[in-house]
Amino acid sequence: MARITVDGIPLEVEDGAMLLEALDDAGVLMRDVTIPHYCWHPKLSIDGSCRLCQVEIEGAPKLQIACNTPVEDGMVVHTENERVAAARAGVTEMLLVNHPLDCPICDQAGECKLQDYAFEYGALQSRTREPRRALAKNVDVGPTIVLDQERCILCRRCVRFCREVPGTGELVVRGRGDRSVIDTFPDEPLDNPYSMNVADLCPVGALTTKDFRFKIRVWFLEDVPGICTGCARGCNVYLGVADNKVQRYQPRRNDAVNDTWICDAGRLSYKEIGAADRLSTAMLRGDLGVLEVVGFRDALQAAADRLTRVRQARGASRIGVVASPHATNEDLFVLRRFCDALGVETAGVAVVRGDADDLLLHAEKAANAAGARAMGFEDAAAVCEKLRRGALDALLVAGHDLLDAAYLGGVDGLGDLDTVVWLDTHVSDLQRVADVVLPTRVAAERTGTYTNATGHVQRVTPAVEPAFDARAEGAVIAALGQALHLDGFEVGFDARETSRALSEGVPLFRGRSFDAVGDAGLPLEEEA
Amino acid sequence: MTTLYLTEHFASDDYQRLDGYKRQGGYEAAKRALGEMEPAAVIELLQAAGLQGRGGAGFSTGLKWSFMPEDSEGPKYLVCNADESEPGSFKDRILMERGPHQVLEGILIAAFAIGAEKTFLYIRGEYAEPARILEQAIEEAYAKKVLGKNVLGTGFRHDVVLQRGAGAYICGEETGLLESLEGKKGQPRKKPPYPAQHGAFGRPTTVNNVETFCHVPHIVNRGADWFRGIGTEKSPGSTLFGVSGHVVRPGLFELPLGTPLDEIVFEHAGGIHDGLRVKGVIPGGLSMPVLPANQLDVPMANESLRERGTMLGTGGVIVMDETTCMVRVACVVTYFFRDESCGQCTQCREGTGWMHKIVERIERGAGKPGDLELLLDVAAKMEGQTICAFSDAAAWPVQGLLRHFREDFEAHIREARCPFLESFDL
Ligand SMILES: Cc1cc2nc3c(=O)[nH]c(=O)nc-3n(C[C@H](O)[C@H](O)[C@H](O)COP(=O)(O)O)c2cc1C
Ligand code: SF4
Ligand code: SF4
Ligand code: SF4
Ligand code: FES
Repeated sequence: MARITVDGIPLEVEDGAMLLEALDDAGVLMRDVTIPHYCWHPKLSIDGSCRLCQVEIEGAPKLQIACNTPVEDGMVVHTENERVAAARAGVTEMLLVNHPLDCPICDQAGECKLQDYAFEYGALQSRTREPRRALAKNVDVGPTIVLDQERCILCRRCVRFCREVPGTGELVVRGRGDRSVIDTFPDEPLDNPYSMNVADLCPVGALTTKDFRFKIRVWFLEDVPGICTGCARGCNVYLGVADNKVQRYQPRRNDAVNDTWICDAGRLSYKEIGAADRLSTAMLRGDLGVLEVVGFRDALQAAADRLTRVRQARGASRIGVVASPHATNEDLFVLRRFCDALGVETAGVAVVRGDADDLLLHAEKAANAAGARAMGFEDAAAVCEKLRRGALDALLVAGHDLLDAAYLGGVDGLGDLDTVVWLDTHVSDLQRVADVVLPTRVAAERTGTYTNATGHVQRVTPAVEPAFDARAEGAVIAALGQALHLDGFEVGFDARETSRALSEGVPLFRGRSFDAVGDAGLPLEEEA
Repeated sequence: MTTLYLTEHFASDDYQRLDGYKRQGGYEAAKRALGEMEPAAVIELLQAAGLQGRGGAGFSTGLKWSFMPEDSEGPKYLVCNADESEPGSFKDRILMERGPHQVLEGILIAAFAIGAEKTFLYIRGEYAEPARILEQAIEEAYAKKVLGKNVLGTGFRHDVVLQRGAGAYICGEETGLLESLEGKKGQPRKKPPYPAQHGAFGRPTTVNNVETFCHVPHIVNRGADWFRGIGTEKSPGSTLFGVSGHVVRPGLFELPLGTPLDEIVFEHAGGIHDGLRVKGVIPGGLSMPVLPANQLDVPMANESLRERGTMLGTGGVIVMDETTCMVRVACVVTYFFRDESCGQCTQCREGTGWMHKIVERIERGAGKPGDLELLLDVAAKMEGQTICAFSDAAAWPVQGLLRHFREDFEAHIREARCPFLESFDL
């Protein structure tokens, strides 16, 4: 460790680390110590080109860039004196010499570093009389991203990202001097599964996603921390919310999970939240054999009645349960208790698998397969096997389209069941066989925790409220338990209460309650 | 006139060839250094001689060699910087064309001193003829066992690889050169790490200028004291002054450092043509601040030039007569630097372009009050804050021109035209 002083603040940081990174790791950068920077990014190689992060180091005749200056014991750094201020102002003025001053129409306005720093360090008036350099606007660099070359400040974060993270290297700097531009090679578009991260990285409005461009002004958005539920990685995101609608996902830094990246598929999965195919009404299959819209309570009561009937006539062993890998730990905990109290012998979970890579994308396309397994839900194959044998009369299915071949190859025998109770977020083929349909909430509408593929427990809080009556899965199960007069189901569902009970009841989750894991999450307790 | 040593034999026809070079005592120094001296002793000798690099920055050669790690696993490299891209400079070209073996001998001794097993000789693309001559010399050297497995029978192994650049000023900057050498876009590297830690292909590397190498055999042959006997106390040795511009006898002159600039201009280069008077002289290549006519009594050595606010640079002396429009000069200079900036650093990328636009506007007759203050301010912002010294090199000439020839700029602004339209063809 090295003891250094920055603006009079004594700090202990890792010896030899670069100053900017050391300050960032110590949690003081841009809080107690302000060092503006463009080209430096904690997850990319050092570029040292923007020259904005200059600081004065006692003993060094010239100003030094904080991003590429190794820390030494005893170093005394000044970031706020006149020399440093002059350098910042100088760089800022240079950046504005050719930058179009079109914040009012720029899509990055509101979260543009150039705007922020120009406000902080720039002059009140421009001293340029020369015409600004005109470069290409609206360059279509690939399927997901648009580039406005004239807004680019050539920090090369995007170039380094493509080289260093997906390793595809589509973006380059073409030309020299003030004719330098970011570009792709002809017929080599920016097209990789992580391409949209360049828009987050870009400190100015040069790179924007086609998806979000011109959609809404960012200052109308509230950024709610949450996670992507597109796969078992559980990447940390901010849900950008306006008008009770999630307008975008942006990555949220979590070094234990996703660094600062998310995949394009996950990023776009926010669209499922308010999608037209959301299951939006409780339904009941009536005497005519068609599903009819009913109130949530009526559907719940019907489900309880039907399950009671099966249990009384044939025994609880004739009831099967398929748990959802999209549900929260709390939901699954309640479901587990429900199965035990009811005497269900056959319960499992099925997870759709898909593409995976070495970066983030996990083959399991559900956010909480690990949580379900931790709660004792094994593979659902046993349930299906019983189904095919005709050994079940009732099935409670949550969050699965069992008829979709992606799950278990499509399941025969579902249609012959006496009762199918189905809880889900989106419409699927299961609608054909379900007797009771109960709409549930997606993660963005929930309070609860998820366990990702590496056993990291993370939490979500509600970002939006569904426009229809949908309930947390745990709430539905708890109500069912209550209607069935099961032991331990005397009170309703409260996510935080349940989370506390889970962390006290299941050793793996000890100390992993909603409140304890915080916004960064915590790994599961080591197995004793 | 003092002894010539770099160019002493350049007139003899066979000096280009290995035999001819040997006839003049060539490769004796290499034999001695490689066969009888320890690497550390060679470095010590260079430090004692006080040779300053001749690539422009004037850094102590012996000191630079001492930065190379002594015990590092894997190869170390030497790079010969033959990019010579500074406008006004042409000494390296002549050194390579006339005395290719002198260059190779210097390389061998330097390589031995720093323990390099390979030298990359990086030559600018436009230098086709010197490249051909060097290639021939390298071939000869391999054939006569001056290069290769057992250099001059000393057991030292050394290879020289000639690499031609594609013509970019910034590929002369040592780390820009390394990038280009590795097949990448020529743009300087951020430091740290320095080349001595992480140079060509990630290995410890020393970069020296062509002329720097040429001095080395002579220092080994004749000793540090002899070398210090030439030139000034702080800037020992001779150097090649390349004089161009409005002089009667432009050319290359080997003279001791410290030779007064007016002596170079008026005696060696024959004075100003057509009986005109001198207006200003750029002493060391385009990037060095200009000196006005009344300051040419300065000794051409780093320390004395610095006192006058300029530098020796590459020793490329550019002479301008009284008809010269200094705004036009500034326009050409800023155009050059704008065009050649690699574009990485904000101040350099934007500042070079901005300066050029302002100067071009003044030259056009559209200058405004306040432009000169703005120019100086932009130049100041470009100085001392960037990855490489290019940005400084772009700022200095503008500062120099404004310092000494402000009246030219003011006249342009006042009269809204160029008062020197006759000066030279636009
Ligand atoms: C923009 C720029 C261009 C340069 N061009 C050359 C060049 O063409 N040839 C050269 O020898 N050194 C050039 N240099 C200096 C080199 O970076 C380096 O200092 C030199 O090659 C070291 O050799 P020396 O110590 O023998 O002088 C340049 C430096 C800068 C900043
Ligand atoms: S496009 Fe954005 S991220 Fe890429 S270099 Fe330009 S400013 Fe930086
Ligand atoms: S890797 Fe998985 S969790 Fe991460 S953003 Fe993509 S789909 Fe979402
Ligand atoms: S100072 Fe200029 S030439 Fe040197 S690295 Fe920076 S932008 Fe490139
Ligand atoms: S952040 Fe340090 S130079 Fe750009």
